[in-house]
Amino acid sequence: MNEIFASPYFGAALSVIAFGIGVRLNRKFKTPFCNPLIIAIVLVSAVLLIFKIPYESYNKGGEIINMFLAPATACLAVAVYTKLQILKQYWLPILTGCAAGSAASMGSVYLLCRLFGLNESLSVSLIPKSVTTPIAVSIAEPAGGMVPITVAAVIFTGILGGVFAPLLIRLFRVSDPVAAGLAIGASSHAVGTSKAIELGEVEGAMSGLAIGICGIITVLFSMLVL
Amino acid sequence: MKIIKQIGIIFTVCWLSILVEKALPFSFPASVIGMILLFLCLLTGVLKIEHIQEKADFLLENMAFFFVPAGVSIINYFDVLKDTWLQLVIICVISTVITFAVTAWSVKLAVRLMGRRRDNE
Repeated sequence: MNEIFASPYFGAALSVIAFGIGVRLNRKFKTPFCNPLIIAIVLVSAVLLIFKIPYESYNKGGEIINMFLAPATACLAVAVYTKLQILKQYWLPILTGCAAGSAASMGSVYLLCRLFGLNESLSVSLIPKSVTTPIAVSIAEPAGGMVPITVAAVIFTGILGGVFAPLLIRLFRVSDPVAAGLAIGASSHAVGTSKAIELGEVEGAMSGLAIGICGIITVLFSMLVL
Repeated sequence: MKIIKQIGIIFTVCWLSILVEKALPFSFPASVIGMILLFLCLLTGVLKIEHIQEKADFLLENMAFFFVPAGVSIINYFDVLKDTWLQLVIICVISTVITFAVTAWSVKLAVRLMGRRRDNE
């Protein structure tokens, strides 16, 4: 019985189907809580647990999908490149905001982890959680973090940003769309950016830029501290 | 053929980035090297955006999908999460608010500095 699940096609097909269902639900309910990735993870996990399919069998297909992570990260360069014009125009606020935001994120996570007495491995898993998933994983993994915890924290953070961005903008009285967009991108990467795009063109572009730039800055900072 | 060529370009960039990663004296994630390499190629005109547009759009638009397997491996970590999930949630909430506020505030400051410099010119 188990050998039919050990084919890479099984894991790959299951992942695509689960994600497809996630995308549909997301379109239907239009709330960041219905995140397609979370729905897919829950569905796949449920199938594996209910039918007692070993994770290793599923992951034969999973590894093929994992292969696309590095190319997808590299393509963030295209997203930055297409916004070169505003990058040149606002380079100072963008760099200042992304550097300060990345430092604030890493520093606050580190202090909170110490406060709660979490162990080293969990702390390392959480420290890069404000940047986009591929970069967060590539920081946490070599430093001894637990990749799935990082992925979960990154998505959860993104959803928080997506849901509460309009509230935070009002709370901190951020009237400048440049500041709002960068703050959304720096604190909640791609999931937040989808909200920023709804708020306005400048907000969306700034938030998109912040994903790539905060990613690189966070890698540089983590080289110094981890 | 167009798409095949674009896939070839992006895979080549990723492979080159692994070469660079091995050559560097310090550890730096290969995927981020790939991003920087691709950016430099576009900036210097070695690659034109048309060379990779469709493939890049495909990867960026479906970025979340590629994380399904990484996320599913959370089922191997239930025992870790059982005792710590509440702390993790609290940490995420507080640090997200702090990051948002610090970024917005420092951008405001930088915009003001830029404006002042422009006024002096």
